Amino acid sequence: MEKANHKRSNRTGIEENILAILESTEAKDTRDTNDDRIAFIEAVRAASFIPENGTAPTYKMHEAVFNNLRVGKSLELIMSSYQLLIELNKRFPRVHVSKSSSTDSHELIIFNEDWLPFDLSSETVCSERQAAGGNPIRPLDYSGFTLLIQELDEVVNGTNFQAIDTKYLRNMLLLQYLVNVLEGDLLPRKIVYEETSNWNLLRESLLNMLLGSRRINYKVLMKDCLSFFSGLCKVHAGINNDHGCSENSVTKPSEDCYPALAFALLDAEKSTCVAIQKLLTMIMELDKSKKNADMLGHTTRADGVRTPLMEIIVDALNYERDIVSPFLQNVLQVFSEPIWKLEIIVQYFSKYITKVRTRRSNGPTDDATFDGILKYFSNSINLKNFLKKISTEIVQLLLAHAFQAHLLISSQYIEGDVDSKENVGNSSLVQICKDIICTLKSLSAIDENTEILPIAKEALFAAATILAMNNS
Amino acid sequence: MVMMVGDGSSHHAGDEDHSVQALWVAMAKLEQGFEKRFEAFAQEMRQSIAAIGHVLMVNQRGYQAERVSERSKFIRNRKKVEMDFDAPLDFENEDKLVNRPVVNKKRKKVIGLDDLLTDHYKQKSKLIEKEKKRAKASKNYNSDEDENEKEALLSNIVNSCQNQMQDISGEEEISDWGLQVFGNQKTPPPLDFPQLGSCKLLQSFLNNEVNSLVELTAENGETFLEGLLINGWLSKLVITRGHVEKSTATWTFNLILYSSKEELRASACDFWCAILSSKDKIDALPTKIDWFPSYSELNSALSIYGFSANFSTTAESLNTNSGYREPQNLIGWIKFTAACCQARSKKSIFLTKEAEELVEVVTCLFLDRRFLALSVLLSECILSVINYFTDQEWNTSCQKIARSLACRVPRDLNCLRTVDCIAGVNNRTKHLRSAVAYQILLVCFNNEATREEEILNLLINIKVKDKNCDLFRMYIYLVLTENWLLSCPNLEEKPVINEMWGVYLRSCSCQISSTDMRPYASKVRNKASYLLLGTTSK
Repeated sequence: MEKANHKRSNRTGIEENILAILESTEAKDTRDTNDDRIAFIEAVRAASFIPENGTAPTYKMHEAVFNNLRVGKSLELIMSSYQLLIELNKRFPRVHVSKSSSTDSHELIIFNEDWLPFDLSSETVCSERQAAGGNPIRPLDYSGFTLLIQELDEVVNGTNFQAIDTKYLRNMLLLQYLVNVLEGDLLPRKIVYEETSNWNLLRESLLNMLLGSRRINYKVLMKDCLSFFSGLCKVHAGINNDHGCSENSVTKPSEDCYPALAFALLDAEKSTCVAIQKLLTMIMELDKSKKNADMLGHTTRADGVRTPLMEIIVDALNYERDIVSPFLQNVLQVFSEPIWKLEIIVQYFSKYITKVRTRRSNGPTDDATFDGILKYFSNSINLKNFLKKISTEIVQLLLAHAFQAHLLISSQYIEGDVDSKENVGNSSLVQICKDIICTLKSLSAIDENTEILPIAKEALFAAATILAMNNS
Repeated sequence: MVMMVGDGSSHHAGDEDHSVQALWVAMAKLEQGFEKRFEAFAQEMRQSIAAIGHVLMVNQRGYQAERVSERSKFIRNRKKVEMDFDAPLDFENEDKLVNRPVVNKKRKKVIGLDDLLTDHYKQKSKLIEKEKKRAKASKNYNSDEDENEKEALLSNIVNSCQNQMQDISGEEEISDWGLQVFGNQKTPPPLDFPQLGSCKLLQSFLNNEVNSLVELTAENGETFLEGLLINGWLSKLVITRGHVEKSTATWTFNLILYSSKEELRASACDFWCAILSSKDKIDALPTKIDWFPSYSELNSALSIYGFSANFSTTAESLNTNSGYREPQNLIGWIKFTAACCQARSKKSIFLTKEAEELVEVVTCLFLDRRFLALSVLLSECILSVINYFTDQEWNTSCQKIARSLACRVPRDLNCLRTVDCIAGVNNRTKHLRSAVAYQILLVCFNNEATREEEILNLLINIKVKDKNCDLFRMYIYLVLTENWLLSCPNLEEKPVINEMWGVYLRSCSCQISSTDMRPYASKVRNKASYLLLGTTSK
């Protein structure tokens, strides 16, 4: 199933020739050095993409490109090395799926010899290895990934105001690239895993090894991820309060800051947000697969135990129950992947509903789905009791977001993008719309002073519009 | 073959070392010479001052000399301090506006000398006054003519020193790429949409019984719609309804292009991307969009942002134009344009000619360093526009775009950047990259050549050994030819081209010695020998 060697090697001539471009570069950052590095990037690009049967760059070349992204000082160099790395990932994936012609099954093909941004050797042997270009840069290990997220978190959450510079942008791009690598490694494995239920494929995925690595503190890493994610959202929430400019945002660049950078930071932060969301989603999916493998008895003791990310998120949401706390709002507002968003909210609700149920035994039985929760709330006594636990604002906020996620899933379901209906339950969209209106109505009926939040009003509008559309 | 190539490249690497060492030695010599000249100048100054003030009392003269040396020390220290101060802002190395370190520092030295001079004059005039008072009756050594002579002498020294410094720094003055493609912004059109409140989406809801909770009226319609847009309901609603009304479409389009609120323009952009990319439902009518934007609207938005296609303003004028702000809506413009191009299966929004212009416009955006950090976005956009063409359209459009771009871009490092930003990742971009490089080459030679062989002939005939040969131009030709030939579609049919290319490369790599100190000599030489190795190992 796995191939260790392939046609991509044996091109030492080209490698030496291209790496020679970097040989003259000094540690100093003069314009000439910079020119040489950019010339190197362009040469790798030309060698990999332009010929009819372009070949992937060799290990050393790939590593040198990556090091330019890691330590590059000039914006031009950072941007071009990032773009090249992303394009290389796309063109020459290390792991990919091939469909075997005879049977309808997929086959996983892994080029183990290919370069990876992560240093997989557990004990450091990196002192022997030297990066091309003369200056030894240690390969990135898993703890480097944790450090990267920590640094980004410090910038975004304001403990490090001075850092709005190329380094901040570089770190964001680095993170985006690493997530891209993790994704490229995980997705093909998942496709084959779903057919074969071979847990080994996922166990050996980069993401699983990263999360299980002894060099990192998994919980701290997840906490940093969430904090960074929420911080990025805060930056964007800050923007809508003051009219449009980045004047009041946390990442306000100093006046004499490089203008191109200030202009692009907003967009870079947005794509970093997407990358973090992708990372979180991948981890939750991996958790789910692991749980399945657990139940099938495919996991071993070596797999270790780790708290599912979902639990960590729901705990974090629980901990910050105050409506003024931006965390809840930020995460809900920006986390746009609908299936997991809905799942998070459903888990959050059912945590409280389960508590109710343990005291009384007549609780809902299908509380793990959105329509189950709506049915539970349709009983106004249930709803009243529930409001003693969580404020009406939070309930409104969660319901509105859950409804929106449901709306998106159901439109995607019709389009055939998503074949999972498990979180949605069996109710039709029309029924859900009715239930949402009913629940929000009874929320305002329970207490006359209850103010309906704007987002809940919008949910009401959406639900009523869809109902009217279906009736006409 | 592999062995041979390996040997070749290590040889090349060794040479590289030598030439770099030679370069360093030369640099060190230059610097030493510079320092010496500076010292000599200071010495001269001291002497001149001593000569001028020879009538003064000894302690005063001593004080004066001390001040001179202190002053020059201060200047040197200031240079150090400035360098330290610059150091943390490492991106400045990159910044064209801040960066011209060599020139700047040298200029500062010159300013320092000027200061020194005025300082000296002040001191001197004071002293002269004193002297005059003191020696009114006595015989006057310092006649005015005498003074003037000395002044002239001093300013001559300063001038010659200044000239020498300029000579030293002159060779590094080839500027990096970078243009200012946006100039003065015009006032954007007003953003009011009276007809928005009367759109069917809102109207149909007004009589709904749920409205007692929502409290929607015709007056707060726009605010409510903004909420729907920002919180992401609007796209989901219109896709579920299968209909985008004209008022909603124009409103959101204008928000992307002209709104000053980041959240509105970003949400409006997401909205359009969603409706343009939404796949039509299998069991329902396709989403009907009542209104599509046109190219002229996108184009006029650019000119409101201050886009000028002829680059009349250069990067230098940016410094003086301090009131300048980056067009904040440009990011939305880029994303929206890309989304429009990707939706061709739904609707052909642009004519072929318009799409050709779009490729050029987006390429021009690449040439402005202020948008450097947007290059990922710009690359995606240019790729979408290039993929917008049908296969038949592309063959002619590609040539048209290349010719037009070649006439537009300046023939300095900017033209290399133009070629680089077309990231040959697929056949079309490779095709375009090659065509653009070829057309720029034609323009570089003022259309003296019309055929491929003629171009190479002209290149081969350039005498690189000639002292007057402009090696910077040579470097540009070399890179352009490389890009033209690397992805030239039917090169196999013309072996003569490849042979001529080899001849040209050999003349560049062998006829320029590693000790050649002319600017760009080593760059041309290294590039040519690198390419030569690449072609022989094929």
